[in-house]
Amino acid sequence: MTAPSMAAALAASLPTPSSAPPPAAPVYEAIPASMSTAIDIEAEIPLTCVQLDALVVTKIVQHGRDAPSASVHGLLLGLDLEGVLEVSNSFPLPSHANDDDEKSSKSIARYQASMLRSLKEVQGDDNVVGFYQATTLGAFYNQTLVDTQAIHQERLRHGGVVIVHDISQTARGNASFRAFKLTSSFMDAYKRANFSTSSLISHRLVFSAILEEIPLRIRTNPLTSAFLNVLAAPSSSPYTSTQLRSADTLAVPPSFSVLDLGNSGLARNLEQVSEAIDNYRTEEGNVAYLSRQIGREKLRAETYVAKRKEENAQRVAQGLNPLPEEDVSRLFKIPAEPSRLESMLLLGQVDAYAKSLESSAGISLLKMYGARAGSGV
Amino acid sequence: MPLGPSSSGIFLQNTPQAQNAAKPSRPTALTIHPTALLSILDHFLRRTDDQHRVIGTLIGTPSPTIVNVTHAFAVLHLEEAERVAVDMDYHRAMYEMFLRGRGESASSMAGGIGQGKEGLSIVGWYATGTSEGGQGGLGTYSALIQNFYEQETAPFSAVHVALDTGTEEGVGAGVRAYVSSPVGVYPKAENCVFVPISCELKFNELERAGLDLISSPNPTNTPLPTSTLPALHTALLNTSTLLNRVLSHVQSILRGEVPPDPALGKYLWKALGAAPDEEGAWATAMQDGVMVSYLANLVRGQAEVAGRLALVGGA
Repeated sequence: MTAPSMAAALAASLPTPSSAPPPAAPVYEAIPASMSTAIDIEAEIPLTCVQLDALVVTKIVQHGRDAPSASVHGLLLGLDLEGVLEVSNSFPLPSHANDDDEKSSKSIARYQASMLRSLKEVQGDDNVVGFYQATTLGAFYNQTLVDTQAIHQERLRHGGVVIVHDISQTARGNASFRAFKLTSSFMDAYKRANFSTSSLISHRLVFSAILEEIPLRIRTNPLTSAFLNVLAAPSSSPYTSTQLRSADTLAVPPSFSVLDLGNSGLARNLEQVSEAIDNYRTEEGNVAYLSRQIGREKLRAETYVAKRKEENAQRVAQGLNPLPEEDVSRLFKIPAEPSRLESMLLLGQVDAYAKSLESSAGISLLKMYGARAGSGV
Repeated sequence: MPLGPSSSGIFLQNTPQAQNAAKPSRPTALTIHPTALLSILDHFLRRTDDQHRVIGTLIGTPSPTIVNVTHAFAVLHLEEAERVAVDMDYHRAMYEMFLRGRGESASSMAGGIGQGKEGLSIVGWYATGTSEGGQGGLGTYSALIQNFYEQETAPFSAVHVALDTGTEEGVGAGVRAYVSSPVGVYPKAENCVFVPISCELKFNELERAGLDLISSPNPTNTPLPTSTLPALHTALLNTSTLLNRVLSHVQSILRGEVPPDPALGKYLWKALGAAPDEEGAWATAMQDGVMVSYLANLVRGQAEVAGRLALVGGA
């Protein structure tokens, strides 16, 4: 999305355009092309990009640092314009700990509503466009995230997005923000609450097809960027030595934490990979147990039906009335096919952990080769 | 890290006087978190046409010496020629919601405004731009508002942060911080002296990357990279520039243009001499890295196969 087209849309949305169009017979048949992109009541323009405001970036990073746990999540506020979802503000949501569910969810809803009202009073954006979630080591596949996003996707305009912020990546010097939404095929399966094997096949669902990523970019508004530039501009201080020319003091000195050779996170990451694999194995075991049980019950039902048929055949042969064919499903409780969602999500988690492990191991190899070349060993 | 134009002034602290002895001493310095700054700027952008300035509440860790400001939120207020009003209900409600958002229940706030779990509470207020009839953003109304915030922050004294947005003629962008001190024979709400204190930007090293992200030049048009490589690239370029600077400095010493400084020389010797250790450790670490990378690939491959097999198994 280019800036001029945005400006055009803004200009078009103004009530009285500054340069009055030539007095022609007004045509009301269709909304002019420039207008139709700005007025998008039905949310027909698909989202192509998510734009995060600098304020939201710092807020999420700060929130992630303050409470380093999986409970870091909050709501994103903003609006969409020409396929760009502009996120301009955010606020944290209290973590729903061990309170009783209905009560806490009610009070969270109350909190949310009054927060939105308050923000509106000071001319803030009060339009919820999604939520953010902080994770560590790239594992954001979990039931809560999918559930929340599924609810949002039904209620919010454009379905809302979830922004995933990776704390461990950020600590390594690379602020990681990614925007996702659920794919339509997953939403379809989710709405039917059907994650049996056949449903998975018909929707072609694997873990990588649950979420689709939306490109994300960062925007610093001109005032903020001017302000930050003034702060970051070198201001000569009389106290530092003048030995190394241009000895300046910076408000934001450069950081070199990315160059750190140590790979302290690897052990933790490995642990998490094996933990995730264990979880997956347990879940697979449950599914296999359930499938065996289903198989057993089905077999029993089938033998019963076969026996009854045989009996009836005998009775007909003896000239008696056949016994009624009873409803087998009432006699035998065949358990429903287990949902494969959980195991799919766990598999996604395994993959995410392994991916983060792979990338950090790769980068650290790269750095080691670099260091060796640099030191001339 | 100083904020705003450098000043040659010395920050003087008045010694506690006899009648003030019971009160804790006023803070002598203030650190402010980037989030608070950006919140203030955002609020300033969203002001209405008839607002000359905006005010809001600062939240952080109060202390008798150095106040640490970490969050800020906007507060409704009205300034006219004859009167000033701050929406106190709004301020209280926002503060309560702030604590809720951090997972602190309202019951812990029994008895009005309490302290948060991590010692976060109201520490003062901010204002942008200049007010009517005041100098440098400080006027009679500022004294009245300050008086109100003094009650909120008791027993600590309230700090006031005046943020110059740089949008006014002749005023550069910057942040100034003040504490107030009563003046006059009789204590009156509108009589006070704003004593400047030093103000610095402070953030956790972990938040570094986020700050780099927003202050990097022209980040608007390109989508955010998902890998670490660009960050590594920038860091390497930076290092290379710095090394060049050191190199040119050393060469100018060798040419005899600049007198050598033993302290600097020793420092450079120590910093540059820190080569990676002996070959054995390096090779081990390398092998570990390769092994981990291989394992990760293996796991990903298996996961992918398992996902596909689940689809095939039912057919």
